[in-house]
Amino acid sequence: MINIKSLLIILFTVFINFSVLSDEADKVTTTSSDFETTYNEDEIFDPIEPINRVIFGFNNVADKIILEPVAKGYRKLPSPIQSGINNFLSNLRAPLVVVNQLLQGQGKNAAETTGRFVVNTTAGVLGLVDVADKIGLEEKEEDYGQTLAIWGVGDGFYVVLPIFGPSNLRDSAGLFLTYSTDPFNAYAVREGEGWVVPLRTATNAVDKRSKIIAEVNALRNNSVDYYAAVRSSYYQNRKAAIQNIDDSELTPLPLISVEFE
Amino acid sequence: MNFLYKIFFIFLLNATPLLADEASDWLKKEIDNILDAYKDTSVSKVDRFNLIEDSINNNFAGAGISKFVAGKSWFSASKETKKEYVKLFKRHLALNIASIMQGYSYQEYVLINSKYDEKNKVSMIDMEIHNDTGNLLVTWRVKKSKDRYFVIDLIVADISLVVTKRSEFNSMLKKVDQKLNELNVVLRSQNESSYSIITN
Repeated sequence: MINIKSLLIILFTVFINFSVLSDEADKVTTTSSDFETTYNEDEIFDPIEPINRVIFGFNNVADKIILEPVAKGYRKLPSPIQSGINNFLSNLRAPLVVVNQLLQGQGKNAAETTGRFVVNTTAGVLGLVDVADKIGLEEKEEDYGQTLAIWGVGDGFYVVLPIFGPSNLRDSAGLFLTYSTDPFNAYAVREGEGWVVPLRTATNAVDKRSKIIAEVNALRNNSVDYYAAVRSSYYQNRKAAIQNIDDSELTPLPLISVEFE
Repeated sequence: MNFLYKIFFIFLLNATPLLADEASDWLKKEIDNILDAYKDTSVSKVDRFNLIEDSINNNFAGAGISKFVAGKSWFSASKETKKEYVKLFKRHLALNIASIMQGYSYQEYVLINSKYDEKNKVSMIDMEIHNDTGNLLVTWRVKKSKDRYFVIDLIVADISLVVTKRSEFNSMLKKVDQKLNELNVVLRSQNESSYSIITN
C-alpha cells in the first residue's frame, strides 16, 4: 500500500512538474533580448534614403515595364539556350573571380576557378557548356566588393544605383573596379567594339532576373515597404556572399518564442 | 553499469539526427500539402488560398514571428491592438508564403540536408528546388514544442523571410512613430491588395 502511495505521489509530482514546464513553454514572454539582431537587419545606414527611394521608384518602374517582361520572355527560350547564355556569361566573369580569390587569399579556389575557365573555354565550347561542373569543379563567385570587405573596408552607406539597383559605397566602388579591370570589356573597347559592354551587362541582368521572377513578385506584391524589404534582402545576401558560410548557419537566428495558435 | 552508460551515450549520439529527420518528414508532408493545393485545378483560387492559409497558420509560429517583427513597438501597444496586429500579421505571413510557394508549385524539390542546432533547439532543413536552368536553395527553420513542430523562418537564397519582414516593418513603424495601431491600418490595406492578387 505504501509503495502504491509513493508511486502515486511520484506520479503526481512528475505530472505537476510537467504541466508547469509545459505551461512555461507556451507563454510568449518577450524580453528586449528577443528583439536583438545585428545592425544589418534593423539599422542599415541609409542617410540618403529620400534620394534612394526616388531612384528605387524609377528602377522599380523600369523593372516592371522592361526587365521583368524581357526576363519572362527569356524564360520561354529552350532551357539549353538559357543555360548556354548563363554559362557563357559566367565563364567571362571567371578571370576576375580568380583575381578576387587571390586577393582574398583563396589559393585553392583560385586554382579551381582557373581550371574551370580552361576546361569550359576549351571542352565547353567557349564556356557555353559547364563541363567543369560535371568533373567536380564547382562555380564560386567573388567580386571586388567582397574583397574590399575581407580587407576590412566597411559597407559605407546604402545607395540605390540607377539601373544597377541596391548597393552600398564599398560595393559601388567594387562595381566600378569590376567594369574598369574586366579583361573582356577592355579588349572589346580597345577593338572599337564598346557596344559589347552594355550588351553584356543587359544580358547578364536579364539572365539573373529570369531566375528570381517568382521571388521578386512575391516580395513586391506582399511588402508593406518594398524599399525596406529589398534593402534588407540586399544586405543579407551580400553578408552571406562575403562570409562564404553555409546560409543556414550564417543567417541570424530570430529568437522566436513558439506559441500555440 | 558500464553497459548502461554506453547505451545512454549511443542514445545521445543518435538523438540529434533523429530529431532533424523527424522534422524533415513532417515538413515534407506539409510542403506537399501546399504544393498539391496549387496543382489541384478543380479548386477555385479563393478556396485554394483558404486551404493554404489554414495550413500555414497551423504550421508556422505566426504569433511568435509577429511579435519578433513588431520589435519594440510591441511593448507600448494596447492588448486589443496587439490582438488585431497578430491576426493581420498571420494573414500577411500566409499571403507571403503562399505567394513564394506558388512560384515553386510545378518544380521538383528534394529535402537534401537537415541539421539540428542543439544550442537553439532548431532544425534547419535544406530544400533544393530544381528547374531547367539551375537549383535554388531554401532553408526551413523548424522548432519543436509540445510534441509538434512549427516553422519559425524560411530562408530563400540566403535571405531570411523573418529578418526581412522585421526590417520592413521596422522601417514602416518609424514612419508612424512606432504606433502599432497605425501599422495595422497599413497592414490591412496591404493584405487586401495581396489577397486580390493571389486570388485573381
